[in-house]
Amino acid sequence: MSESGIHVFNHNAMATQFQVRIAGEDKTYAGQTAQAAFALTDELEQRLSRFRANSEISQIAQMVPGEKLRLSEPVFACLRLAQRMEFATRGAFSVTAAALKHQPTKPLWALVEKEFSIRCDSGRLEFDLGAIGKGFTLDRMAGILREWSCPAFLLVAGGSSILAGDASAGTAGWDCGLGDNNSPRRHRLANGSLSGSGLAVKGAHIFDPRTGLASSRRNRAWTFTTSAAESDALSTACMILDETEILDVLKRNADWLVFLNEKDEWRQLGSRPAPPLV
Amino acid sequence: MVTTPLTRREFIGTTAAAGAGILLSSCSPDSGSKSAANKASSLNKINMALIGCGAEGQVLLDSLQVIDGIRIAAVVDIWPYNLKSNVRRLKDNGFDVNGYENYEDLLANEKDLQAVIVATPDFWHAPITNACLKAGLHVYCEKMMSNTIEGARSMVQTMRETGKLLQIGHQRRSNPRYMFALNKLVRDAKICGRLTAAHAQWNRAKTDDLGWPKHSDIKPDVLAKYGFKDMHQFRNWRWFKGLGGGPLSDLGAHQIDIFNWWFGMTPRAVLASGGIDYYKNHEWYDNAMVIYEYPLPDGVARAFYQVQTTTSAGGGYFEMFMGDEGTIKMSENPSITKLYREDRAQVWDALVEKNYLSASATAAPSDAEKVDVRETAPLLQYDIPVSFSKKIHQPHLENFFNAIRGTAKLNCPADEAFASEYVIHKANDAIDAQKTLAISAEEVKA
Repeated sequence: MSESGIHVFNHNAMATQFQVRIAGEDKTYAGQTAQAAFALTDELEQRLSRFRANSEISQIAQMVPGEKLRLSEPVFACLRLAQRMEFATRGAFSVTAAALKHQPTKPLWALVEKEFSIRCDSGRLEFDLGAIGKGFTLDRMAGILREWSCPAFLLVAGGSSILAGDASAGTAGWDCGLGDNNSPRRHRLANGSLSGSGLAVKGAHIFDPRTGLASSRRNRAWTFTTSAAESDALSTACMILDETEILDVLKRNADWLVFLNEKDEWRQLGSRPAPPLV
Repeated sequence: MVTTPLTRREFIGTTAAAGAGILLSSCSPDSGSKSAANKASSLNKINMALIGCGAEGQVLLDSLQVIDGIRIAAVVDIWPYNLKSNVRRLKDNGFDVNGYENYEDLLANEKDLQAVIVATPDFWHAPITNACLKAGLHVYCEKMMSNTIEGARSMVQTMRETGKLLQIGHQRRSNPRYMFALNKLVRDAKICGRLTAAHAQWNRAKTDDLGWPKHSDIKPDVLAKYGFKDMHQFRNWRWFKGLGGGPLSDLGAHQIDIFNWWFGMTPRAVLASGGIDYYKNHEWYDNAMVIYEYPLPDGVARAFYQVQTTTSAGGGYFEMFMGDEGTIKMSENPSITKLYREDRAQVWDALVEKNYLSASATAAPSDAEKVDVRETAPLLQYDIPVSFSKKIHQPHLENFFNAIRGTAKLNCPADEAFASEYVIHKANDAIDAQKTLAISAEEVKA
């Protein structure tokens, strides 16, 4: 426990480190709560990872056009959200972006709501949930923490997505920086999510699903939304969208905010008020 | 294919009148979702219930939701927090289920069930399984069969008396990769040569005891009614004698069963060491190492098993069978599966051609009189050419439901599982006794 009374727990999953920080609880109970949240992380990884032979995402990749597959509730919910984010970002975010490396056109698919199923319409459904799965997992972990009556928390997925619950006692929110360690741009985050995407760690790893090419419109982008899945996916889309397109996306989604840093100048796009600066 | 679902009586009539081909097509599952309006149980739509919605119950539920031709009619759990959340989740996912606190309420209220899945703490397996079999239901019971040998034996007895099916949850026995590797590679092609040893393990890191959300405690009188001292014991029952069998039974049971299955016999002796080395508030050993001795027709093979609960290191969970010509390392995780050929063994080209094995590249032609010179060729890697993307418990559950329909034979009936159950209990006994214990061929029979 830190001097501030915050308990910190770490767990490796989804090829990165997840972290749970809990304030205002005794250590044992906080640890048990984190353990329950991490168990969910492992469960979701087993379902969502394209690297696990028995995951639902691997099963989806083996479907042939016309075939339907019943999905579990979390996978169905995650794909429904992915579909919504693809539509909201005008295709700049897409879970089938990586499929363009192996296929001439994006595969087509649909969710069949009444049957909780996915239908393959064309191509091979090579889904990569790397740009939404971690955020989705944070949202679900937050559900566990609230269920366990630990409302003051901060959840971190690999440093690229964070989700804050209530602020710890006596603060206006969790101290979160945009950028590298000890970034001078810092916000107080409570009940919201911040995500960042960029080329610094993995290089040009973001494909523009609309062209099939690696995108390099900017080096980094940050997003602030209520849901971590949304901020995760939106930050990826903002690496690809030009500024006019971002503004258009934000006009239709008043709950979203985008931060850009170009030539050492911070700009914020969108009408939602930013979390207070530290 | 018939368009109207068959009733059980019609099915039996069809069985008597027709050949197997017709039988199979007659039993095709109904089309459409599992939440179909028609709730009557038939062989086309088997009504079933899950008893026990804890961690293992969740895993099974996950598979059950994607299996065609069954209807999840009810779930049972003594913990209201677990019961409510599972009923809610299933309803959210389109399943119309009822929830009950215990199996007696289930049996009293659900009159159209054909099968139950039992995934409660081990010490409840025998009473629940026996009651359900006697109520005329087919039962799929998670391993261990029971926390006692007597309990397990009573389950086999009841299965025989009632004539109902009792499948034990050793799911690897229905895993197509394991079945292929055993039948084609080990038994038919004999890629291991003479089997001399086996090694299996499942190590996991130290974790804190499980907790529970505030305000979700089960009332003390209810806990006592179901045999638990308190909430801590309820949540961590696997560590307590009288409730579970410790890590050797939780994790080892699956893998020690593979020793018996693949060697085709039970061991004649067991030597083991273990202890409560780390945790202060547990009754079962946290670390254990076991050696079984199998008198195979070609000579003795020894099988080493370890389950460490203080470290996750050591290469994951697997079962490895070693012979004088080759070794096969199996795991439910295909990325851990490996095949090794000894230099003295025949090359495996013919097996690749036969599709018994897949190879990472084409082998260079083996002509003793010629050679070609080029870049260094990478060492060939071999794999099992069977891909399996279903959830890992799904084929075993499907085997159970197909056995109910009469289109399959159980892959792990209780009388066969009992032999594994027995030798696993014996490993715990050997730790207590601190000496080698003999196991006769007679005593492993139920």
